[in-house]
Amino acid sequence: MSQIALFGNPNTGKTSLFNNLTGSYEYVGNWSGVTVEKKVGILRSRDAYVVDLPGVYSLHPLSRDEGVATDFLLTESFSTVLNIVDASQLKRNLHLTIQLLEFGKPLVMALNMIDVAERRGMKIHINQLSARFGVPVVPVIARTGKGMDELTEKLRSVEQTKPFTLTYDDVIETAIAKISSYLPDDIERSKRWLALQCLEGNERVYEYLRAKIALEPILAIRKQTEESIRQLPHGRSLRERLHHLRETFIEAVLEDVVTWTEKRPLTWTEKIDAIVTNKYLGMPIFLFFMYVMFMLTFDWLGSPLADLLDQFFSGPLTDTLSRLLTAMGASGFLQELVLNGIVSGVGGVLVFVPQIFILFFFISLLEDSGYMARVAMVMDRLMEAIGLNGKSFIPMIIGFGCNVPGVMAARTIEQPRERLLTILLLPLMSCSARLPVYALFVGAFFKAHQASVVFSLYVLGIVVALLLAKLFSSTILKNEHSMFVIELPPYRMPQALTLWRSTWDKGKGFVRKAGTFIFGGSVAIWLLSYAGPKGLHVSMDDSFLATIGGVLAPILAPLGFGTWQAGAALLTGFLAKEVVVSTMNIIYHVKDTDTLQGLMAHYFTPLSAFSFMAFVLLYVPCLATVATIRKETGSTKWTFFAIGYALAIAYIISFLIYEGGKWLGLS
Amino acid sequence: MVLTDLQPGKRATITNISMMSDILKQRLIDMGVHEGEEVCVKCTMPFGGPVMVEVAGQCICLRRKEAACIGVE
Repeated sequence: MSQIALFGNPNTGKTSLFNNLTGSYEYVGNWSGVTVEKKVGILRSRDAYVVDLPGVYSLHPLSRDEGVATDFLLTESFSTVLNIVDASQLKRNLHLTIQLLEFGKPLVMALNMIDVAERRGMKIHINQLSARFGVPVVPVIARTGKGMDELTEKLRSVEQTKPFTLTYDDVIETAIAKISSYLPDDIERSKRWLALQCLEGNERVYEYLRAKIALEPILAIRKQTEESIRQLPHGRSLRERLHHLRETFIEAVLEDVVTWTEKRPLTWTEKIDAIVTNKYLGMPIFLFFMYVMFMLTFDWLGSPLADLLDQFFSGPLTDTLSRLLTAMGASGFLQELVLNGIVSGVGGVLVFVPQIFILFFFISLLEDSGYMARVAMVMDRLMEAIGLNGKSFIPMIIGFGCNVPGVMAARTIEQPRERLLTILLLPLMSCSARLPVYALFVGAFFKAHQASVVFSLYVLGIVVALLLAKLFSSTILKNEHSMFVIELPPYRMPQALTLWRSTWDKGKGFVRKAGTFIFGGSVAIWLLSYAGPKGLHVSMDDSFLATIGGVLAPILAPLGFGTWQAGAALLTGFLAKEVVVSTMNIIYHVKDTDTLQGLMAHYFTPLSAFSFMAFVLLYVPCLATVATIRKETGSTKWTFFAIGYALAIAYIISFLIYEGGKWLGLS
Repeated sequence: MVLTDLQPGKRATITNISMMSDILKQRLIDMGVHEGEEVCVKCTMPFGGPVMVEVAGQCICLRRKEAACIGVE
């Protein structure tokens, strides 16, 4: 099947268009860079693939996620370009369109947000726009799916027409001719496009050409052209000159294509911004929003739902399974494996599904509404003080849901060192998998102050991350030059369907994990607790699990939880943090959370429980996060560093909490 | 005059962006911030935090010391 590549500026509704065009479930967000990976869907007419690429302003990449788009053009084979264009930002968007047209593949333009453009007083003449660029133009409303049929039709029928050529000035045209004649004839990409990208200084294109020919002659031509351009009256750089010439062409086109009517005063985006980005209210509003999110997740809505689910697992489900197994004549071993191993282990984690979905819902809401970019802006001053920038805060919020997409979202940060630092600190953001552990302990020891105790752990994670950021950025990761520029997209009313898809997309990973990792982990842990050096069906204290956990116990004693049970739970928690809860359910042989919480009072005090929760928060990133850090940093050294510093800081903090608490007379 | 001298709500035209670092300049040019474009400061964050400006029909947020490298009239 042929491939269609979807290109467009950030915040143009690209992912919504992709979803509607392919009918697939994709992750939709409204801040620059939610689409960090290449995603492929199948066109509704089932005869072509559509590839969703990260939003870019031009083909000359500045950050890693933008590089993905350029690399795609250079290395992949595809038949058609689908260029989504924001009608209300036509001038800026057409720069990318020109660069794509110069590439020479058939192109279809999807003109999105016509309604917004009209509200701003723009009337766009579609036919004239289509004629000026020589490509089909289809007006669409990506968020509602309007215009998809016509777009699909055009995508299927578009053919290669006469290649679009914009004539630059004499100096540049001469340089293009020189570079083109130097390029080998068997090169697979348009020579003119390659030459233009070389003049832009596109590093990715340099790399592509370096593999085929010596680059020095091209660089020499570029340098010479740069000097000639500098001597022109304006004294611009070559890149600015190219941009200026394209801009001139676009302005001429827009003269003919757009008629301006009366401009209406700007929208409610400005009214909302007047409040949420207010000089003094901005930060408190953000904190208030976070607090409401946590109260809903833990107190008001999440906990009652989790309790209901817990009752179902420990009551009807266990009874039915037990009766079923007896009826089937299952052996005692199998019965115990299913009821004490799998139901306790997997069920103990699944009861937290409601809370996790509520949390993911709020994160999706943040992304989809356009507020996320404002958060980056509000937080930038603080982040600058510790050697990061406001954009680092976005991966961190995503990290509250799950650290893995958080680490990947750091790709939008332009400066390599700031990006590395963000990745290293991300595991300190308390992800949803740690939530079951907190929920278990606060239910047992802090009944009256559940939400505030959990909130304090989130704050602890953030504070430790900020302090370490300051430490690392002033020692091992000194920053060359910090920068922060972000586009603030207009607010959009989040749509129920998009929100649900986005929440489900994030949440299904948790459910899937329960069926795989946690299922497997539970079986393994139960077997380790069932078998011991002296044989099978031993008492729990003589099991292999007790032996393994016992090794860690003395090390953990100064932190207040020097039991083999805690040691074993923490060890298995490296698989995924919620396995800590599964292990505890299995070790203490209980089927519902209430009994477990009652039993835990024998092994923990409120102080040691808090110390334990702090340790679980900080100690090591889970297996999946470690793998992602390795992939994203491309460095084993930094991956080990991420694990090592986390262990050290967890030990120190828990030690301080427990010993400090004892000293203060707490227990 | 530079962008940070502009009163919030007042409009001006960008006259010079050559004082900025290359990577920043490229990003801003891509976003449509260049000489001759009209600009308006929407608000500023406290403690020397970033400024929010409106250029070419969109809102952009950048740091104050970087905004101070944009000459306006």
